This record gives sequence, C-alpha cells and structure tokens, in this order.
Amino acid sequence: MHLKYESTLREPLVDGVKDYHQVTEDIISPIEAKPGKLWYVGFFISLALLGFGAFSVFWQIYFGVGVWNLNKTIGWGWDITNFVWWVGIGHAGTLISAILLLFRQGWRTGVNRAAEAMTIFAVMCAGQFPIIHMGRVWMAFFILPYPNTRGPVWVNFNSPLLWDVFAISTYFTVSLLFWYSGLLPDFATIRDRAKTKLRKLLYGVASFGWTGSTKHWQRHESLSLVLAGLSTPLVLSVHTIVSFDFATSVIPGWHTTIFPPYFVAGAIFSGFAMVNTLLIITRKILNLEEYITVGHMEAMNKVIVLTGSVVGCAYLTELFMAWYGANPYEFDTFFKYRAAGPLGWSYWIMMTCNVISPQVFWFRKMRRSVAVTFFMSIIVNIGMWFERFVIICTSLYRDYLPSSWSYYRPSWPEVGFYMGTFGLFFTCYFLFAKYFPVIAVAEIKSILKTSGENFKEKMEVYEEQPDEKFAHDVAHAH
Amino acid sequence: MEQKKYWKGLEELHNTDAHQEIVKNEFSEELPFESEGLLNARTPRRDFLKYLGFTTAAATIAASCETPIKKAIPYVNKPEEITPGVANYYASSYTIDGEYLPLLVKTREGRPIKIEGNTSSAITQGATTAKAQGAVLSLYDTARLRFPTIAGNETTWAELDKQVTAALSGAPVVVLSSTLLSPTTKKVIGEFLAKYPGSRHVVYDAVSYSGILGANEASYGKRVIPSYHFENAKTVVSLGADFLGTWLNPAEYAKQFAATRKINAKNPEMSKHFVFESTMSLTGANADERYTHKPSEAGAVALALLAAVGGSVTAPTLDPKVAEGVKKAAASLKANAGKALVVSGSNDVNVQIIVNAINNAIGANGSTIDLANPSNYRQGNDAEMAKLVADMNAGAIGSLIVYGTNPAYDYVDAAKFTEGLKKVKTTISFNDRVDETTELCKFAAPDHHFLESWNDAEGRTGYFSFVQPTISPLFKTRAAQDSFLTWTGNTTPWVDYLKGAWVAKLGGAEAWDKALQDGIVEPATAPAMGGASFSGDVAGAAAKINSAKKGGKLELVLYEKVAIGNGRLANNPWLQEMPDPITRATWDNYACISNTLAKTFATQLGDDYEINTEKKVLKIKAKGKEVVLPLLIVPGIHPDVVAIAVGYGRSEKTGKAAGGIGKNAYIFSSFNGTTVDYFAPEVTVEATGDKYPVALTQTHNSYEGRPIIKETTLEEFKHNPHEVNEDRKELDKFGKDFRKDATLYGNYSYPGIKWGMSIDLNTCFGCGACTIACQAENNVSVVGKEEVAKAHEMHWIRIDRYFSGDENNPEVVFQPMLCQHCDNAPCENVCPVGATNHSSEGINQMAYNRCIGTRYCANNCPYKVRRLNWRDWNGADSFENNLYDVADMNDNLTRMVLNPDVVVRSRGVMEKCSFCVQKLQDAKLTAKKAGRPMKDGEAKTACQMACAADAIVFGNVNDKESAIYKIRNEEQTERMYYVLEETHTLPSINYLAKIRNKDAAPKAEKESAHKEEAHHA
Repeated sequence: MHLKYESTLREPLVDGVKDYHQVTEDIISPIEAKPGKLWYVGFFISLALLGFGAFSVFWQIYFGVGVWNLNKTIGWGWDITNFVWWVGIGHAGTLISAILLLFRQGWRTGVNRAAEAMTIFAVMCAGQFPIIHMGRVWMAFFILPYPNTRGPVWVNFNSPLLWDVFAISTYFTVSLLFWYSGLLPDFATIRDRAKTKLRKLLYGVASFGWTGSTKHWQRHESLSLVLAGLSTPLVLSVHTIVSFDFATSVIPGWHTTIFPPYFVAGAIFSGFAMVNTLLIITRKILNLEEYITVGHMEAMNKVIVLTGSVVGCAYLTELFMAWYGANPYEFDTFFKYRAAGPLGWSYWIMMTCNVISPQVFWFRKMRRSVAVTFFMSIIVNIGMWFERFVIICTSLYRDYLPSSWSYYRPSWPEVGFYMGTFGLFFTCYFLFAKYFPVIAVAEIKSILKTSGENFKEKMEVYEEQPDEKFAHDVAHAH
Repeated sequence: MEQKKYWKGLEELHNTDAHQEIVKNEFSEELPFESEGLLNARTPRRDFLKYLGFTTAAATIAASCETPIKKAIPYVNKPEEITPGVANYYASSYTIDGEYLPLLVKTREGRPIKIEGNTSSAITQGATTAKAQGAVLSLYDTARLRFPTIAGNETTWAELDKQVTAALSGAPVVVLSSTLLSPTTKKVIGEFLAKYPGSRHVVYDAVSYSGILGANEASYGKRVIPSYHFENAKTVVSLGADFLGTWLNPAEYAKQFAATRKINAKNPEMSKHFVFESTMSLTGANADERYTHKPSEAGAVALALLAAVGGSVTAPTLDPKVAEGVKKAAASLKANAGKALVVSGSNDVNVQIIVNAINNAIGANGSTIDLANPSNYRQGNDAEMAKLVADMNAGAIGSLIVYGTNPAYDYVDAAKFTEGLKKVKTTISFNDRVDETTELCKFAAPDHHFLESWNDAEGRTGYFSFVQPTISPLFKTRAAQDSFLTWTGNTTPWVDYLKGAWVAKLGGAEAWDKALQDGIVEPATAPAMGGASFSGDVAGAAAKINSAKKGGKLELVLYEKVAIGNGRLANNPWLQEMPDPITRATWDNYACISNTLAKTFATQLGDDYEINTEKKVLKIKAKGKEVVLPLLIVPGIHPDVVAIAVGYGRSEKTGKAAGGIGKNAYIFSSFNGTTVDYFAPEVTVEATGDKYPVALTQTHNSYEGRPIIKETTLEEFKHNPHEVNEDRKELDKFGKDFRKDATLYGNYSYPGIKWGMSIDLNTCFGCGACTIACQAENNVSVVGKEEVAKAHEMHWIRIDRYFSGDENNPEVVFQPMLCQHCDNAPCENVCPVGATNHSSEGINQMAYNRCIGTRYCANNCPYKVRRLNWRDWNGADSFENNLYDVADMNDNLTRMVLNPDVVVRSRGVMEKCSFCVQKLQDAKLTAKKAGRPMKDGEAKTACQMACAADAIVFGNVNDKESAIYKIRNEEQTERMYYVLEETHTLPSINYLAKIRNKDAAPKAEKESAHKEEAHHA
C-alpha cells in the first residue's frame, strides 16, 4: 500500500473514474490523430506573427537600432521590457516542476508538463531581446568568455549583463533537461503505441531507448530529484540576477535593494498567470478538463493573489523609501515622473492590473471561475508588462540632468519584434500541444494511487470499517 | 622464466580457420575511404573530417577573395614639407561678411581639417566662433561650383574671359560685394573699375550695420565702426546688440567681455551687464539684468536712457518695468563713467545717434570706444544699395559683378533686385555656388574658398591678417582678384600682386614670409585710443524717433542665429545641426513666441509641449507678406513679439543641407529711406491648424532646483563666498576625503598624469563654438533633422541651457556637458564586454572595436553624454546600402574633412568625449621627443581651444604649476563643484558656480540684516 493517505473529503486531482489505459488514451490519442481546424488556424496565425517578427528584426539589424525609437536618454525600451517580461513568465514552469516537486504538491502533475514547456519557450523568446537589441548583433559572441588571441580580451565580470548571460543560459539548460527527462517515459508510451513507422522511429529516438525497467524508473526518479534540487535555487537566482541589471545601476528608480525579491515574486505572479492562460485554452481544446481541473486553477490563483500582494507591498515600499530616503532625485522619479508626469499612465495601469484587480481572488467563487481566471490571467500579464516598462522607462526618461529628459514611443519594428516573439512562443506551443503529451502521463498515473475516484472507491471500504477492525487489520498485517 | 602464452579468446586457443583468416588481414573491416559514396560509408567520421577540412578551407579562400581592395597611393616624390601623420599649420583668416578672425589651419597630408584661432592676434587672441570652426567643412561642400559657367553651361576660363571682356566694354560696371576687409583686393577692384568710366563699387551687407556707420558719420564725421573695448567696461548696456552671438565680431567681444566676468573670492569684482531687447538673444541670456520691450520701442528706450544719464531729451513713457531698468542702468553707467559702454543693435541712424550721445555722456569715447583706430567689420551702405537697385531697374547699369553677396535672396526687396538684374546686360557672379543670385547671372566665375586663396585683411585700422592657401584649389575655380586683374588687362597673377604690395609695404621678402608665418602684422605697441568730439543732432534724432510709427498689438523682429548667421554658410551640415543656444533647435527656423502668446494658440510649455516634436504652425503676415512657420515657445521673448531667424529658406541649388529648410524671413525687412529695418511694427499671426516637427536637442527648460547648477549673486558671494557650495558640506560626513572615505573599494591614486578640466559657468556664454570644434576634431557624425527629433544626435559636447524664474523674463544659465571622465564611472562597470574602461591618466576610454552596443553604459550614465551610432552615419559598416546620410557627409569630397587621427565609428557602437586623447598623446610624445616633461598648456582639447571666453581650462591636475591645479586648489575653492558628486562618480570635470551681478536675492539681504542686528545687539 502506498504510504500516502489522502482524505476522501479532499478534492480529487483527477476527476472521473480513470484506469491507466484510459489516462493514456485521453492524453496520447490527440497526438496520434490529425489536429483539428482550430489548431491549424492558431498555428498559422502564430507562424504569420513569427514571420512579421523576423522581418522586423531583419529591418532593425540591417538599418541599425536607430529604426527603434530609443534615444540618447532612453537606451532600453520595449526590448528589455519584453526580455524581463518573458523571463518572468518563464519562472512558473520551474517553480511548478521543481519547488512543488520538493514540497510534494500532488496537484503539480496536472500542469507541470505544459508549464515547463511554457518556461522553455518563454526563455527562448526572452533570449532574443538582449541579443537582438545590441547595436552590433554579429559581435554578440563577445559576451562569452571564450579563449581568444586578442590579448586575450576578457569579458567584464563586474557587469550584471554578463551575469545575465550565465543566469539565463544555465536556467534554459536546466529547464530543458528537466522537461525532457520527464518526457522520456511518455515518449516511450507513444512509441509503443505507434502504428506508423515514422512515428515509431522518431519517438523511438526521442525516448532514448526507454524500456520502463525498474532501473530506468529508479534513475529517472533520482534525476528528477537532482534536477529539482538544481532548479530550485535557479528559480530565485535568475530573476534576482535580471533585477541586478537595474539594482546595481546609479539611476534613481533602478538603484534599489528591494529588487531581487520583488522581481522574483513578480515573475512567479506573471508566470502563473501565463500558465492559467495556456491551460484554460489547452484543456478546452484537447478536452482535458478532467486532468486540469478547476482545483488546479484555484491553487494557482491562490499563488497569484499571494504574489500579487507581494509585488503590491514592494511598490508601496519603493514609494516609502523614495520619500524616506531623502534622495531628491529618487523622490522626483517616483512621485513626479513615475506616479505622475507624461508616463504616469503606465504606472497606474501597472497598479490596477497587478495589485488591485488580483484581490478578487480572495473570493473562492472567483478563484474557481474559469472565465474570471482567464480574464485575470490576461490582466496580470498586461500589468506585469507595464511593471517592467515602468521600471525601465519611467526611470530613464527623466533622470538626473533635466537637459536630457526625453520621451519614448515604440516604432513599428519594436512592436513587430514583440509580436514576433508571440509568434515564436505560440508556434512552439502549438507544435508542443500537437506532438508532445501536454500532461505528464506517467506522473498522473502515479497520483491515481492517492487521488481520484478510483482511489476513493478503494478507500471507501476502509472508511466504512469500524475503527477497531481497521486497527486490528493494521496491527496484524503481514 | 616460464614462457606462458595467453590467449585472447577460444578461437585463438583453438586456432580455427576463421581465426586464421582474421589474422591474415590486418584490418578486419574495409577502410571507410575506400567505400563508395558518403551514405554508404560505414565509418563516416573520416569523411566528415575531410568535408569539414575542405569546407573550412573553401570558406576561408572564398571569404578572403571578397576583401575589398582599398587604394592607398604613397607619395612618389614626397613633398618636403609633408610628413605623413604629422600636421602642418598655416596661418589664415576668416573674413566672410566682414567678421575678422585670424586663424591657424591644421592640415594633414595636404588637407585642411581643422580651424583654430591665431593666438598672436591682439584683437581676437585666438578666439573663434562656431561659424569659423565650421568653415573648413564648407571647403569640401559638394554644392560648390566646380568650373566657370556661361548661362549655366560649363566653359573654360579662357572662353569666359573672352566673352566677359567683350561684354564689359563700354558700359559702366558695378561691383557689388559684401564687406571686404582686404585692402589689396580693394585696390585691385579700384584698378579694375578705373578702366570702365562711370563704374562704382557698392558694398552691401546681408544684415546691415548702416545705422551705426551713418550715425558715426553724423556724430563724428567718420563713416566707421569704432573698435569696442568691452574689457574696459565695468558697466555694459546692450540695447538689443547681440555682441556675444552675432553682432559685428562676436568672438572678439566675447573674449573682451569674458575678461570682466572672471571672478574669484579673493577678487570678487565683475562687470555689470544690462540688456534691453525684444527677443531672447545669446547676449540677453548672459545679462545680469534684462528687460524686454517691443522692437518699435528701441528708440524710446535709448532716449529714456539718454535722458536718465543727463541728456537734454525728454524721456518717453515706457512700460514701468523697463523704465525702472533704464533708471538702474543709467545709475550704473553714471557710477562707472569712463568705464562704461552702451551698444545698440538697431540699424536706425537716429537710434544710433542717441546711443552715441549716451556714450559721449558717460565718457565711453576714448575709453571703451576707440574711434581713432576704427574697425572695418561692416562697410555696407543701405542707401547706395537702394540706389543701385533703382539704377538697375532704370536700365542704367551695364554690368554687375556680384562678389560674395546674394541680394536675390537676402535683399529687402529681392523681387525688385531680381527685376533689375534682368535689365542689366552683363551679369557676373563670383559666388561659390549656384545660389539665388548666381542662378540669375549670365556668367559664373566661381571664386576660391578662402582656404584655397591668397588674401589679406585689415580688421582694425593698422591690424592686418593674412589668408594663404592650405590646399590646391579643389576645382576649376579662380580667385576673384585674378578675375579682376585679368579683366583689367593686368597679367600679374594675384599672388604676385599681393606679395608685391606687401613686400613693398613691409620692406622685404623676408618680412613678408614672417608675416605669413605669424599670420598677422600688428603695431608693436597698441596705438593710443581716441574718442572724437560728438556733434550729432540729438534733438533731431529724438524728434524723428518720437514721430516714428507706433507699433501694433503684435510686432515682429528678425534675428540672426549664432550658427547660421545671415545664411551665407547655411549649406553647412555641422552648423545646421548645431543646436541654437537659446531654443536648442536644429535644422529649421520657426516663429519664436512667448508662452503667454502661445496660450492664445492653445499650446503652452508643459509636458505635452515637451514630449511632442510636432508644434503648431502659424501664418505670420506683415508688410503684405506672409510666411508659414511652426511656433516655438521661447521664455524671455517679449509677450507681444514674434521673432524669426534669417538665413533659412534657401533655394534647392544652394545645397542638400540648406536647400528647402525653413523659410526666408528677409522678406519682412524693410527700407526706411536711409537704412534697412529688421523688424515689422505690425504683424498678424494666426494658427493654420497644421503641425510641423521641430527637432530640439533639449526639451526641458528648468534644472528643477537641482544642485547640478550652482549660482548666486555677486553680493551674496562677497558676503559669504562659501554659501554657493553650502551643500558640499554634506560630503564631509563621509570623512575627511570624500573620494577615499565614501567607498568600500580601494582608491587608485594616479601617480603620473591625471587629466582634469574646469568649466566656468560665469564665462560660458553658450555660443556653441566648442560643439563644432569638437565635431571637426573628432569626426562626430551629422544625423539630420529626423534623427535629431528622435534624440539621436551625436554631439560629444552639448551646452545645456536652463531657464529659471519668471517665464517672461527668466534667468538663463549655460552648462557645457560632456563626458565627465568619472574615476568611479558608472558606465565602466556595467559594460559586459569591457569596451569602456579607465586609463591610468583618468580618461574614460572607449574601445570601439570591442563595443557591441548594449547601451547599458548610456543608461547608467548620470550625465547622459554617451552617444550610440544608431544608424550607419558614415559608411563604416559591413552592410551595404544602409547608409543614413542626409547631407552628403559621405561624399568622397566631404570625407576629406575627416581627422585621420580619429577613427570613424561604425554603426551600433557607443561613443563619447575622449578628452581629445589624440591631442594629449601628441603633446606627451612631443615632450618625450624633446626629452622634457610636458608643460601645462601643451595638451589642449578642441573645445578649450575654440572657446572665445576661455571658460574651459584643461590640464594635468597632478602638476602643481598647472592652471587646473591652481583653480581647484587655490583660486576657486569656493566656487568649484562637481556635478552629481554626491553619487560618488568622482568626475574629472569641475564646474565653477555662476555669479550674477544683480540685486541680491532676499536671502543675502536677510542674512546681512540679521548679522547687523546681532552686531548692534
């Protein structure tokens, strides 16, 4: 008997009576069938966006960063805003797969696969920005500490941008490994069910010769734990390091020690919102409502209201410190040009979307409403985009010397580039939804032992037993 | 020892047949390269390596074949005086339109690349202006005429001479020139005219000073411009004369005036400067006390001032504020009698007579005004010009030779001039391009650029300067003097003629060589200054002023911009892109109006106005003419005045930079019968409903009370010299030495040279010469209007201009801002690739080749002085066809202006001020070669050299004898501060607080009152 006993009063993690075969059927069969019309529509829209993004990037690389509306005062705008935004979104996957695994949160199994995929794709999108935003992209390899014959010329280890390079690339590598190692047993399942040669070949290669032997399972479990252990500090470190891009500078509005926890909370906040957005669509289209239940969404909404309140606290702390710190430049940045001034509107969009509106999730009814969850997931990500915009642009546009004050509106290649990353993200996600099991089949099967209708039915026998008999049976069990 | 045999397998032990077979073949499998086809290969590793090797080699060869071949042709016979890599300097002079600036021209490998002031001149003492700095670019102007033309078709000089000589014969000839400072050229013209009886020479200035000349003729019997001596004046009153920006010879006056504005705590004295004007001029921006009036009241203000200094005229009624100002100014003038000066920008003879009367009354004649040794800066005569135009229209002129002047564009009644020109049989232009006048002339006989010419100049009587070629003529042009000589029938080449004249005058060829070497010939001792007895008809002038037509509700005034001036050098991308000192606008003219007036057009200063480049467009009508221009709000302009800069609206043929930019405002000037008026007393203005983008480099006007600017009044400074730097005491909290004690990190002590700069806010008048000098020295790119509007301009040194106080009459402060070369530079530690780093001499350096353009350094620069190459401005990019060049700056011709010592930056890299590191290296190496330590003053930056006011001091702060060391540690300890030093950036540039000589602020009064009370108690 499995060690874990879960009360039958608890909400099941998987709805309906499922046996293992049924789970496999439910999750794997969409991979084997032809995709629906909606899939094609979505996929081609994504491809079109990706194409436009590629054109925008080509335009910018060919003619120079000057086609963007950045200027002598505002050196970063939509580019780095989008970078931080996508990296932030990428946090949910690892948090769900690593930290929740370590905390033995059973509900993670329903969402972790998609969330991890989202992480990978989001980090891929994020990585575009710091590379493409360079004035000389073709020299981007200069940021790598590679041996060379020019002295050697070495990178500047003092620069937070360099830390970013390491942080993001490590994060991407570990997340990818984690995700892929989880996929191995499921790929093997697809391979074993495959009716076409090509599928057998491709999934056979992808599953690395998985046989399902006990040794494989044992190693697989160990690897998961090791990677979870590795990823856990990464969840905290990546956005901490991203926040150092700002925190270590001298610009009022950037130069604050509160950034690391504030950024991490914000990242989880936006990441969970993005997971909600994607899963609500996925469960609907792939008919996975029984695996991705309202209970899952509620759990994530709880995290959203928590992290939303954390960022809210951070915003207020920033304001307090701007006043209490008695630094006139910082005071002006926060009170005159961030909360007010020509870009003040962006601050209030941020406040509304990130702090005020998520408070609806204090109500259970709201947490469990699919419509509200979906709407809020979008709102939160709009808010988080504006948070990064506010931090970057409202600090830069009116800093120390008023002679250099400027204003910023994006140009079409900047918007196009952002749209292009949506294209990339959804192209990847659509391919993922079609060719990969969007729910971790093997893991879901493992929780069927402790949750779901089957478990409850089995437990009801015990529940109905008189206590004495149960105690007697336990005492005399062999 | 036992010989055991070990077997590797059973097959070996039993020695089966199969095993024997295997032993026979050394390689049990087929070698992979013997297999056929790549896909069949059983061991493709070797094939892979083969293909890898081949493709790498092929790619290398292919790539190396593509390398473009650049031709570098070495000297076959090296000219004796040219050493590649070593600059030659030639003395020359800038004399365009009568401005007088003796120069040194730096040439590299035979190309002039930089203009510097000639410090041996007693008049300018090395001062330059932005226009003079930019003149070297005009040499390489692609729009210059490259050959003589007849009716627009190319011809030879021989053919042109033949036709011209035939055409000139018989009829009276008129030579129409701008002010010529050259006595020898005038002699040549005289000889030429003598050949054609009835001929004459008419001098015409685009912006006329006929009023002063006429007034001096009436007052002193001499039609001259006196030499002004601002350095002797304790009180200067300017009645609309922009003597620091555009009036007569501003560099000379800035140099003189700056001498009276230098101040330190030991000697806390400075001149007092009053300005009465209509628009906000550079001089007004530097005033201690400034009052605004309508342009039609200029005479009234002069009269009131005369009355107040004791003249026998009645003061007209004026606005109470202005009247108060007149009273104050008069009091100060009287208190400093004999050490005071009044100058007026009016071109009205009567107003200038009154000004002469004032100067006479306050004893300026002979002390600050020298009539004995007059200046020749302007010689134009409006009445003669008017007569010429009338004669032309009457058909009385047979031939007209236009020399360095462009009346079809800038004359009061250009249409009438153009009409008249059609009636002149023979029209010849010496102008350097197909400008508005040349276009209408039959013959174009283009003159050399002054950097290709021989000439002399007499700026002040007895003070000569020379012009000598710094390069062979680039085109088939010919010196105007040669043309005159040829047409006179004199076969002497101009150079021999000039040399002959000077050898005769100086008494020998050696003296002539020395004169060329020095660039100047001046009296050994300055001749005594002299006044003249004033005999002007004050009563008559006053009556005429009083009877002048009163202005309407709104009035219009024309002004010259510091960079563009009268429009002669308009096709100069550097000057077009130089931000106007007051408006900070580039590439345009516009209607300057006050905030009060702007409100009537539903726009005003504020966030919306700041963040949108699109400004409302106004239709301005006066004197039956109209122009449509965007408005620009200029704090400090009189609320009922519209001001428009002249020099814009040039024809397309003038060149790519000037053509079609802005509108011609000369149409609003008018002839009053004696002189030209540059204002219109009645004007109507209406909004057209359109909007038009204006490219400003600075949109926010206030420094928000931040301690980046420190200023105080003279009285307060005398009372407590430390008051201005009170906030620096906060730094003491960190310990004895803020540099060392306010950080956790170590401190580098700079044992060798440590470069430093000091900028005096008191003597920075904001003229912008440094910006252009820097642009020329450091190959700073021109980006064009659209990119300036996107805040992509590249200037390494900018002049921040801040307004404070009353929006209708604000105080102005200029702050040159350039890389501060912070010893704890925020830019340096954020660069991921270490492209920007610190030298052991304290210079913040850029390694362009290493820069990848993340812009992190620019974001983290508190001074915002770093400039990214947003586009491919200059072709230094590996991408084809993406050059962004709006002004022909990349033509092979224009590129000759590039300084070979400074690399041209490619697209995508960051750049900024380098402290002219190439010049510093040069100075160090020169000292090293001479085997001695470098002396103070040997290493100079371009901005420092260009500054007429010597506001910039640069040097080695470790050298206790250096000026910079003395400023920081001895002379200016009270005024010295660093911008944003509290952030511990440790800048290498310090500023000296601005001191205004005005009535004390309430704070000082309160303090002194308090002190006295305490004293009495």
